[in-house]
Amino acid sequence: MARTLSLRMRIGLAIMLAMLVVLGGRLFHIQGLDPAGHAQQAVSNRLHAVELPAARGDILDSQGRLMAGSADRYDIVADPRLTGEYTVADADLGLQRPVTLEQTAGELAELLEADSADILDRLDDEDTHYSVIARNVTPEVHQRIMELGIPGVYAEPVSERTYPAGPVAGSIVGFVGSDGPLEGMESVANDALTGESGERIYEVGADGVRIPTATYEEIPAVDGQDVRLTVDQDLQWFAQEAIAEKANEYNAQWGNATVVDLREGSEGEILAMADSETVDPTDPGDTDELFRRPLALTQDFEPGSGGKSVTFAAALEEGVVGPESEFTVPYRMTVDGESIRNARTHSDYQMTAAGIYARSYNTGTVMIGNQLDEQTRYDYLRKVGYGEPIDIGLGIEGQSILRPLQEWDRRQPLTTQFGQGYTGSVLHNVQLYQMIANDGIKHPLRIVDAYVDPDGEEHPVSAEPEQIFSAETSEEMLKLMEGVVDYGSAMDAEIDGYRVGGKTGTAEAAGAAGGFDGYTVNFVGLAPLDDPQFLVSITVHRPEGRFGDWDLTDAFTEIMSHTLAGYDVPPSEAESESYDGFVGERQDYPW
Amino acid sequence: MSVLPVADLRPAPSASRKPSLTALPKVRRRQRGLIAGVLLLLLIALGAVLAVNIHVANSQYQVVQMTNEHRDLVHQNQALTQQVQFLESPQALSNSAVTVGMVMPASAGTFDLDSGHIVSEAEAASSSSVPSSFVGAPAYTGPDLSASDVAQQAEGAPSGLLGAGALHTLMQSSAGENDAGAAGTAPDSASALNGGTIPAPDLTD
Repeated sequence: MARTLSLRMRIGLAIMLAMLVVLGGRLFHIQGLDPAGHAQQAVSNRLHAVELPAARGDILDSQGRLMAGSADRYDIVADPRLTGEYTVADADLGLQRPVTLEQTAGELAELLEADSADILDRLDDEDTHYSVIARNVTPEVHQRIMELGIPGVYAEPVSERTYPAGPVAGSIVGFVGSDGPLEGMESVANDALTGESGERIYEVGADGVRIPTATYEEIPAVDGQDVRLTVDQDLQWFAQEAIAEKANEYNAQWGNATVVDLREGSEGEILAMADSETVDPTDPGDTDELFRRPLALTQDFEPGSGGKSVTFAAALEEGVVGPESEFTVPYRMTVDGESIRNARTHSDYQMTAAGIYARSYNTGTVMIGNQLDEQTRYDYLRKVGYGEPIDIGLGIEGQSILRPLQEWDRRQPLTTQFGQGYTGSVLHNVQLYQMIANDGIKHPLRIVDAYVDPDGEEHPVSAEPEQIFSAETSEEMLKLMEGVVDYGSAMDAEIDGYRVGGKTGTAEAAGAAGGFDGYTVNFVGLAPLDDPQFLVSITVHRPEGRFGDWDLTDAFTEIMSHTLAGYDVPPSEAESESYDGFVGERQDYPW
Repeated sequence: MSVLPVADLRPAPSASRKPSLTALPKVRRRQRGLIAGVLLLLLIALGAVLAVNIHVANSQYQVVQMTNEHRDLVHQNQALTQQVQFLESPQALSNSAVTVGMVMPASAGTFDLDSGHIVSEAEAASSSSVPSSFVGAPAYTGPDLSASDVAQQAEGAPSGLLGAGALHTLMQSSAGENDAGAAGTAPDSASALNGGTIPAPDLTD
């Protein structure tokens, strides 16, 4: 009896053990080996990876005012496979009320202020399961659409660029297209602005809520840097208004007003670069292509009489003339078989070099310039920046055409002395006067002040200064420029209480078909001359009317007075230091 | 003398076992208490784990709720900031200035404090010198300006420092009256706070 019991027990025990082994093996198979990848599948079903987009940096003006920022927006998207009639609980009736697709379209159209039939088409599009109903919808509208609870309609968060100042500095700030940045700062500083996106990985339960104790990983996004420009938004707006008014007055093709800081520590910073018409980055297509990029860089033209400053500065620097050297200046003269003349007929004058500069006589300029050899004059043109592209950090190079000496024709040795036979952009001209104003030291023009990290650390942008002229030459040039305003070609550029100097320039504009068919008129002025603080350049291209009709000094004084007042530059009682223009007592010779 | 009586050498085994037998019931009684204690501890631990778990899970829902609320407030803040930025643009300021009858300034007068001289005389601004408006207003893509009126939104907002209180502070600009303002503008705030000071997260939507 005991033996059989023991045998049965043993058999039963063996079977149980065997089953346990099978179960254990199966458990080990599933849990330990997991050849079908169930555990992995379950985890990956629960795992959610969400991209944490990095915030795009802002573009700020020199005072920290926002010129380009980002705002949260939503794209409203429909999956037409899931849309259709649905029911909603009506609180008033206490019943389920059906909503047709037409009604849905109507409700959406009202919220989106769009065409209901158009939305119906998109909701009902058979060919796709991704049909965008509206782009860049504000969070407010997005929330109201989500409250409708329409099946098959969902929202995707996107970031939209906002440009609170619109067309103010639009061509400098640039704009972003649907595929990325296209122009201006947005494009050139894209790498700095973009940052690095992060990722958040977590597990969610069936109800869509995160499982608290499960995997959680977060790689934080690194936001993009802010870019602070040297531009002063208020001044930029003021200059845009002034130049638009001027261009409008003469019905010109375009106009440009540029303001540059000459103050110690910020020499060469561009405070305003205003065009007569400017793109609104929110809607670039609305503006003519010419005005979508800064004209001060994209347009090159002959500097005209403004180029005489290079000849005078070179002659002073080389010591071949002084400001009061005397010349007999005829209306017309012939040099090396080439005839040159002045803008208006006049009798021969006994003039000083300062007088020739102030009245901008071509003949007198050639008499001075010819005391230097061709190579020296060419070298000075190159040294001040002509013949080389100018880059201010905006990704667009301003072009300048100056042929090498060997390729000059018979007239060019003469014409280059008074600003013809070569071209430069507005900024080439501005750079020349910047170095004249700042003791002969060239501070490369720039538009980016600093890159600012998200934590506030600043990376200032600076450029190497370079001595081009001596401080003495610079000082004499300022006195010559004062003569232009005192008794020369820009007497209306005076500003009460400040010593102002400047130089006018008019050159013929090359036509598309060759030859010349218009004019480019410009004026560059500096103030106050005791210690130049600001430079204002006005350029108008192809104004309507005849040579001599145009006067840019009112736009200059308007912008310069505004700048001086805005930056608290006090007026002084300092006397003019300009030299006499004519030899002898009499100074009021007719033009 | 070499053989000792065996009985003398063996200690009485029964005598030595007796104390150990009597001691056992005492140990058992002690063990019973210990087991009960361990069981109680286990139950408490289990209960605590359960409570913590429930709390964490509940908080998770609250976190989601508050994240949504935070996002909404961020959006609201963003919309208002954007509105301010657009209104701050030079064109908008110039237009507003013209609307209220302002004109371009004329030159300011200047004194030299060292010499006591008048350096430049002030001029009266001309009433006809209004700023030009060649530069267009920015294309506004943000939320509807009228819809973002803070007063309208604050009507249904939670009271306390977040909603009506903040609005009150903004409008009255006297920082010390938050409590009075909150109580005054939202009479039902006391019941909503349930005797506490921090408003509960809004669970209605």
